[in-house]
Amino acid sequence: MAAPKIIVVGGGLAGLAAVIKIAEAGGSVDLFSIVPVKRSHSVCAQGGINAAKNLKGEGDSTDKHFDDTVYGGDFLANQTPVKAMCEAAPGIIDLLDRMGVPFNRTPEGLLDFRRFGGTLYHRTAFAGATTGQQLLYALDEQVRRFEAEGKVKKYEGWEFLSAIIDSKGQARGITAMDLRTMELRAFPAGAVILATGGIGAIFGKSTNSVVCTGSAQSAVFQQGAYYANGEFIQVHPTAIPGEDKLRLMSESARGEGGRVWVPRKPGDNRPPRQIPEAERLYFLEEWYPKYGNLVPRDIATRAIHKVVYENGLGIDGQPMVYLDLTHMDRATLDRKLGGILEIYEKFVGVDPHEEPMKIFPGMHYTMGGLWVDFNLMTNIPGLFGAGECEYQYHGANRLGANSLVSCIFDGFRSGPNALEFARSSSAPEGDGGAAAELARQSEINAKLIKNEGGENPFRLWRELGSTMTEHATVLRYNKGLQKADEKIISLLDRYKRVNLSDRSQWANTSFAFARQLKNMLELSRTVVLGAMLRDESRGAHYKPDFPDRNDEKFLKTTKATFTGDVAGPRLEFEDVDIQYIKPRPRRYDAAK
Amino acid sequence: MATAQYSSAPTVKKGVQPLRAGQGTSFIWRKLHSLLGIIPIGAFLLEHLLSNFEALKGPVAYGQQVRFLNSLPLVRVLEWVFIFLPILYHGLYGLYIWFRGKSNIVYYPWAGNWMYTAQRYTGLIAILYIGQHVLRQRFMGISLPENPGAAFAKVQHELANPWMLAVYIIAMIAICWHFAYGIWLFAAKWGITPGERARKRFGYVCTAIGIGLAIMGLASIWAFVGPTYRNAPDIVPLSSIAAPAVAGTHAG
Amino acid sequence: MATKTVQLEIKRQASPDAASDWERFEVEWRPGLNVTSALMDIALNPVTADGRPTTPVTYDSNCLEEICGSCAMRINGKARMACSTLIENIEQPVRIEPLSKFPLVRDLQVDRSVLFENLKAVKAWVPIDGTYDLGPGPRVFPQEQEVSYPLSNCISCTCCMEVCPQFTEETGFVGAATIAQVRLFNNHPTGSVLKEERLRALAGDGGIQECGFAQNCVEVCPKQLPLTNAISDVSRDVLIQKAKDCLRG
Repeated sequence: MAAPKIIVVGGGLAGLAAVIKIAEAGGSVDLFSIVPVKRSHSVCAQGGINAAKNLKGEGDSTDKHFDDTVYGGDFLANQTPVKAMCEAAPGIIDLLDRMGVPFNRTPEGLLDFRRFGGTLYHRTAFAGATTGQQLLYALDEQVRRFEAEGKVKKYEGWEFLSAIIDSKGQARGITAMDLRTMELRAFPAGAVILATGGIGAIFGKSTNSVVCTGSAQSAVFQQGAYYANGEFIQVHPTAIPGEDKLRLMSESARGEGGRVWVPRKPGDNRPPRQIPEAERLYFLEEWYPKYGNLVPRDIATRAIHKVVYENGLGIDGQPMVYLDLTHMDRATLDRKLGGILEIYEKFVGVDPHEEPMKIFPGMHYTMGGLWVDFNLMTNIPGLFGAGECEYQYHGANRLGANSLVSCIFDGFRSGPNALEFARSSSAPEGDGGAAAELARQSEINAKLIKNEGGENPFRLWRELGSTMTEHATVLRYNKGLQKADEKIISLLDRYKRVNLSDRSQWANTSFAFARQLKNMLELSRTVVLGAMLRDESRGAHYKPDFPDRNDEKFLKTTKATFTGDVAGPRLEFEDVDIQYIKPRPRRYDAAK
Repeated sequence: MATAQYSSAPTVKKGVQPLRAGQGTSFIWRKLHSLLGIIPIGAFLLEHLLSNFEALKGPVAYGQQVRFLNSLPLVRVLEWVFIFLPILYHGLYGLYIWFRGKSNIVYYPWAGNWMYTAQRYTGLIAILYIGQHVLRQRFMGISLPENPGAAFAKVQHELANPWMLAVYIIAMIAICWHFAYGIWLFAAKWGITPGERARKRFGYVCTAIGIGLAIMGLASIWAFVGPTYRNAPDIVPLSSIAAPAVAGTHAG
Repeated sequence: MATKTVQLEIKRQASPDAASDWERFEVEWRPGLNVTSALMDIALNPVTADGRPTTPVTYDSNCLEEICGSCAMRINGKARMACSTLIENIEQPVRIEPLSKFPLVRDLQVDRSVLFENLKAVKAWVPIDGTYDLGPGPRVFPQEQEVSYPLSNCISCTCCMEVCPQFTEETGFVGAATIAQVRLFNNHPTGSVLKEERLRALAGDGGIQECGFAQNCVEVCPKQLPLTNAISDVSRDVLIQKAKDCLRG
């Protein structure tokens, strides 16, 4: 029998890792990506990748990595997959090393490790401050090798539209649209892996890339896939506020010794270097003496919020604090953080070697995602999820440098699992529903291109973004969430009158965007309604009205099901797998 | 595979083709072009400028130098194999290189880009100049291999025309420039100066070479047009110490 | 208070076969405004400066922080990344055109897939045995890592190819980016097993010999790759390889 065909959607770390495993196992792969895979969002990851290799004589172990991850995620993650990931991590680093990733090295030629948030160990391998870029390229190169051997066919510049689901509810392929010719096509496959990343675009400005709309997840969510823990959104404490996006300033800046501070005196507008040490408030170090500047991201983010909005200590009265590297040696900084310091200088016009950076929290990572079982299959048989677009590892808050390892681990598992599924699955009846799905998509397109009305899709998106950022990020109040949901409902209504100022059928970006927008709107409700239902504070989800964690009621995975009803998705709770580590209070101001 | 709609889409043009890995012979022709520029053409240029420099010592010394060169064994073969053919190839292939490239100093007025463009124009000047120079000095008028004593006057008559003088001065500078930058390029492109600093330092060396050669060349021109040897006789008698006469060197 | 505005002139072309023309736009100035933000403003209100409705501009962009390599275009004549081009640092009106050396798709979007084909042609990868756990990779000393890392920062933006006077349809020159990757992989202990193949590939038509050393590549590279150094080094290696092949017969 010919090798089954597997479709992988998304060419970031998870997608590419899956492709490599499938091609290596003799399967054939169609790889779909909106952008050339080398330009996927994984390229933006900066700081590093975690693995407890214990090369610094600190007694680190995969068990400790496991514990840090579960504890850092406030016990919301299912422990079985997290444990497996932490155990696989050292092997993954070795493999990446063999693939030629230019990791930083010790004088002896071994991998160097640095510290990251939420741990007391040097556990993060890194390649300067562009680790994601280097990892993505390494996998991209391996995929190019398979492509040259004819085992992989890339469809770059194609957008996933929907899964093809047969009469028995099994995924039999996908429909996709060529973003140049706007041609729609159905692609049959034995199994489909979605590796489509995060949903940052729903928040308007975030640290995510333009393609991180969550459109693909939303499409299959609307086709019946569960969406889990949608309310858990990581806001990164240190981003560079910008006109078009929030540019990440890696946690590694703090891992390498960067200190966060504000002037102690409100309204102190002296240049930062003229403010004496005694008049600076190093609030993270003061409030969290054990972890200091390396508390997990949710903690740091809320601390910055507090110091700015409650204590009124933002720089020049603006929502910004200093991230200071000026006490460090220039050569070390350039060797270990060069890439990100250059970015800051380019976009802000100030040299961070000379002057402290001004930063503020920004939406960064999607902990929630497609619900998958421990084999990474969604509730739609034959449809798998991998990487940031699924929900498994990070619970209520992701630790820095765990995302890269989770993405690659997911790719490595989902690939073989999908192949195995396709091999053991029976042939579809007829076309497996391809023609019907294609017809449905054609109809959506035909309707959209002719749609009349006065609504500009980009404007609707802006409004969605500001609502989501205002009500569904750092601090959440039920009243605000209610408002946000009403806003989304009104945007969904206005979407019916969306008007494309471009009706051509050639490289029409507003057309593609309008299709994504609908999916963003539908998916954003899972974030808002999930947050509304969860009357507790856990990890990144923080409700001042319910400041404590409530394990009795909410140590649960939220599962959303699309209904198509104006009331929004149906939400239910599922127990969390806590068989290895008993939940305990999460405190970073003292030993855990 | 099922598809839908929009069959008459425009097509994107092909653009620059990818690398033809390991195929074709352009590598060898291009490297030959590069190498010939140094050896023998560059070497010959040095010889020629040194010989010209003899002109400063007067018509007799100059004539003797011409006679000496023409006394080399197999000189006619040497002349074709190591001078005419290499220059012809270097020049024609150089033009071919030029026409396949696309200069863009308008948008990118950077030093290296200026040099790139200048190398092409000085090359063109060199070809045109050398063409007429060889024709008029080697193959037209009195034949110098047979009459080395007429060498000085032949050149002097040529340079008496102010237009011709201008042509010689411009060409002299252009050729020295072309050669000096050519050495620099050779070192960079053959991996002799793979570092930024090495290239910078070698750039100074090449500049010195270029200026030195140009000064030498211009000084020689001065010898022909300056007051010292004004109105040299058409043929100067050469001392007979210098060995065998011209006729014997004919190869066939 | 009157708001400060920015004038943009954008070269539009609806499709590869269509005629091109210039459209003028005016968008509101803000501190830190970059070219991609200005293009986004136009999408929000696709109307030209003289009030004529038009279509949003088609262009490539993704990360907006100069690491994905998508948004290369010609801004005031020069190839550069639109995201890291701050309006306050450049002359107005800002003239924006697509890259000129690559086939046009629409407006500012071009097809740069030739670079990826070239990377395939030189086998720009480390040929590992497999992805199963085989222990750590070869030891690499920091000195070697410091050579590799800058080369590995190439974002495939193709600016080096756009500005290269030798990168033309006539030469089919491979361009600096690919040569730098050959340098990178030849430098890797395992990657070097394919060194000879890569060098032979680069001696093919359109290979490294087409470089005219105008050095525009290294000037324009947004990531400051040592491109001319790589070209020089690889040129020598290619030459030696060809000489060896020739002598070995």
